[in-house]
Amino acid sequence: MKKIEAIIKPFKLDEVKNALTKIGAQGMTVTEVKGFGRQKGHTEVYRGAEYKIDFLPKVKIELITSEEMLTQVIETIERAAKTGKIGDGKIFISPVEEVIRIRTGERGRDAI
Amino acid sequence: MQFELGITRNGVSDAKNLMARAASNHTSPREFLRQHSEMVDGLVRMAFRKAQSQDPSPSVCLMAVGGYGRAELAPHSDIDLLLLCSSSKKEHLPPLVEKILYPLWDLGLDVSCSSRSINECMQMAQSDLFVKTSLIDGRYLDGEYELFRNLYGLFMRRVLHRKVKNFVEALASDLYLRGQKHQDPAYTLEPNIKEGQGGLRDFQIGRWVIRANYKTDRWESILFPDHSRMLDKSLEFLWAVRNQLHLLSGRRQDDLSFELQEKIAPILGLGPGAQGVEEMMRQYHLSTQRISNFAQNIISRGLHEPSLLRRTFHFLQRRKIDDHFGIADGEIHLLDPVAFKRDPARLMTLFEYSQTYRAEMDFRTEEAVMEALPFIDDYFRNSEKVNQAFLSILRNGSTVNTLLMKMHELGFLSRYIPEFSDVEGKVHYDLYHVHPVDIHSIRAVEELVKLKEGLYQKEYPLLTSLITEIEKPENLFLAVLLHDIGKGMEGDHSLTGAGMVKRIGDRMGLSAEDNELIGFLVSHHLLMVETALRRDLHDEQVILRFANEVKNLNRLKMLCLLTFADVKAVGPEAWTSWKNTLIMELFLKASHVFEKGAVARTFLKAEEMLETLERSLSPEIFLAYSEHLPDRYLSCYSSGEIAHHIEMARSVEKELLLMNWEIEKETQAKVTICTKDRYGLFSKITGSMFLSRLNILEAQIHTWGNGIVLDTFWVEDATKNIERRLVQFRKDLGEILAGKVSLRDLLCKRKESNGIKQKVIPRVPGEVKINNQDSDFYTIVEVMGEDRLGILYEVSQALTDHGCNIHFARISTLGNRIVDVFYVQDEWGEKIEEMNRTDQLKRTVFSRLTPRESSPA
Repeated sequence: MKKIEAIIKPFKLDEVKNALTKIGAQGMTVTEVKGFGRQKGHTEVYRGAEYKIDFLPKVKIELITSEEMLTQVIETIERAAKTGKIGDGKIFISPVEEVIRIRTGERGRDAI
Repeated sequence: MQFELGITRNGVSDAKNLMARAASNHTSPREFLRQHSEMVDGLVRMAFRKAQSQDPSPSVCLMAVGGYGRAELAPHSDIDLLLLCSSSKKEHLPPLVEKILYPLWDLGLDVSCSSRSINECMQMAQSDLFVKTSLIDGRYLDGEYELFRNLYGLFMRRVLHRKVKNFVEALASDLYLRGQKHQDPAYTLEPNIKEGQGGLRDFQIGRWVIRANYKTDRWESILFPDHSRMLDKSLEFLWAVRNQLHLLSGRRQDDLSFELQEKIAPILGLGPGAQGVEEMMRQYHLSTQRISNFAQNIISRGLHEPSLLRRTFHFLQRRKIDDHFGIADGEIHLLDPVAFKRDPARLMTLFEYSQTYRAEMDFRTEEAVMEALPFIDDYFRNSEKVNQAFLSILRNGSTVNTLLMKMHELGFLSRYIPEFSDVEGKVHYDLYHVHPVDIHSIRAVEELVKLKEGLYQKEYPLLTSLITEIEKPENLFLAVLLHDIGKGMEGDHSLTGAGMVKRIGDRMGLSAEDNELIGFLVSHHLLMVETALRRDLHDEQVILRFANEVKNLNRLKMLCLLTFADVKAVGPEAWTSWKNTLIMELFLKASHVFEKGAVARTFLKAEEMLETLERSLSPEIFLAYSEHLPDRYLSCYSSGEIAHHIEMARSVEKELLLMNWEIEKETQAKVTICTKDRYGLFSKITGSMFLSRLNILEAQIHTWGNGIVLDTFWVEDATKNIERRLVQFRKDLGEILAGKVSLRDLLCKRKESNGIKQKVIPRVPGEVKINNQDSDFYTIVEVMGEDRLGILYEVSQALTDHGCNIHFARISTLGNRIVDVFYVQDEWGEKIEEMNRTDQLKRTVFSRLTPRESSPA
């Protein structure tokens, strides 16, 4: 089992979510996050006053997937989240030791 | 043991269910409470007598206390008993208590029983609020009546009617603390019907205060008949819901969870599904609001009922505002009891004074307002004096939220704006909206007031400065108050609301201009959130379309403030710094569009053009392409040309390059090129033209949203061989784009034969300007210099070498002078802003304006 964390542009959330649902992803966690990478923050000016935007708003989605689904899930996120411009985001993949569904106590793949 | 009291456990629950069914069908829920209590009374008495007969103890008395004492026993309410004895010798009591309790427990009843002497009761009642309040509701059940009478005589004299003020204060603090706790969104969505704000406990508090203060248990006697009838209905509704809560969950469940909301609504005859739930919760909120107001009102009377001395003092202190109102001790008092009857418009004057003097009205004046509500009729609603006063309250802005809330509580607001009554208590059946629409709207006004008072200066400096720039703030306040008014109706609430607001505005005598503005704000109140959260703010087209819809800076500012107020009022967590950043970015970018002003004409043309295209193109083609066409592109061509371009674009999937031309006067031609965008495309085109010795006079370079490039060039060949050169150009460009040959190779190969080498002494000084101010999306490179063959290729190659993507360009030639404008972004789609990069770019482009010794390659 793998955990996928993807940082994407906010307006791409619906597209990514729909694409993932279409390929059968069971669920995901979505968080509003802020940060910066290669795309840095900037300063906006309104009537002479400067308003600094240090951290850019992004959306983080997290989901757990089986090894077989992994490639497909990653490709789906990549395709749906891409605009080709700076700030499209990143995908992180890490191994997951165990998953437990609290209600039933199911473990492993059954709990995904 | 089972049959000790002549009934089985099942028998009890059957009886309960029978009564419950009767209650939900034809009798009132209160009737159920009474019947249920009576049934329990019978069982308890029987248990008591049985116990007494086994182990007689003469001087005891059995009492019902708490809710059971009031004979208001919901299906699974606790049954609290008190066994009273005369002396402190109570060794014999515990066995007796056990004997009473056991058979009742066997029947599945939640009974508890404490045993105390009269003295103990008195001591505890003096120190413990809970014991005190449970004793207020005490009721004699069985045993020695004399004991009960003694206790009550003492309790009333020594406890309840002494230090009344302390008692009221204790209750007020209980009310406040619970109110604080239950303000949490979780409690508002799934309220606790007993402990929650305006719940049954609040009602009891009101009743206890009346009991202590006015020595009567008939709470309705101190209210206006209308008021008490409404309150009674509210109470009845809560009881009905609570009975069902208990019956469905089979235990003392007072949390109105989502799951149970769905089950109860149909049982109460409110229809199935979300609609039924929304209606039930609407009634719930209205009911609890009334009860909450009642409790507050009674407590404030209890606390402020002035002594004779104070009253005299105030009388001397009081200041007259006019003949009808006076002010004393920070409160406005009605001096003339018939003031409202003579002239109902004075109701609005009262609120105006309340704002001007920053004083609340005393409770008697509040009651007078409620009593005067029937005077609010169409004449009142259309009265200029009234409406001007209302608008001036909004314009003034200070404490507007408190005033509106007071108007709302007293029932004034929904009489004055009847449309508002449709959204009272109206809930959104989701997890997001915490408050019903009426409360949400007033809270939104509150957020504006907070902004205006500078409370958000640190967190939201930009919004704080915006609210000071608004002209006619009354329009904004009115729009915020009414933004969700359409929620009571069918259909899209923004549009319905805008229609309703127009009628309200007409009635209030707003100018057509103001009315149009408010209508716009209401109908578009979701636009900004939707654009900021769901659209690419780095796409210029998105910003332009948004700005186009908003039309001007003043409306943008108002819309931004409305958006803030709306979202912030949804719940404490709704306006995150994340949302704030996105919405502010949209605001700033759109404001830049307006500040530049020039774009307005482009909008208009683009919009007209889209309408024309919609009529002339087939629907599916229009749908597939219209959203990709940039405004700048739309304003440059005729509808015929655009249709032709779309035709070309549809074939570009199959063919790499589409090109056609019209030759004019043998020496000039207009060339249209359609292909897919790629890095360095423009310099490849201009380079290929240079190869064929085509001189570029003018050009329009456009990139559509879907990556299709549409370029138009006006080229010249003085040798009248233009047709041949164009054919050659098409062949070269096709091969270059297909990757068969490289432009560089071709340039090297042909430089001799073409005789490209030219030496011209520039008579026009070159100039390169890099402008990052005029667009939020592109770096604008302006180039001026002397014209010569191939110059455009050199300049565009310089741009490409520096990683610039040319998104849009306008190329023109004036005599022997070129004036070219390029809108570029770097390879990441961002502007080129760092000083060293812009400097370098400027230097390189400038160096290409004069021909080099060697050939360009």
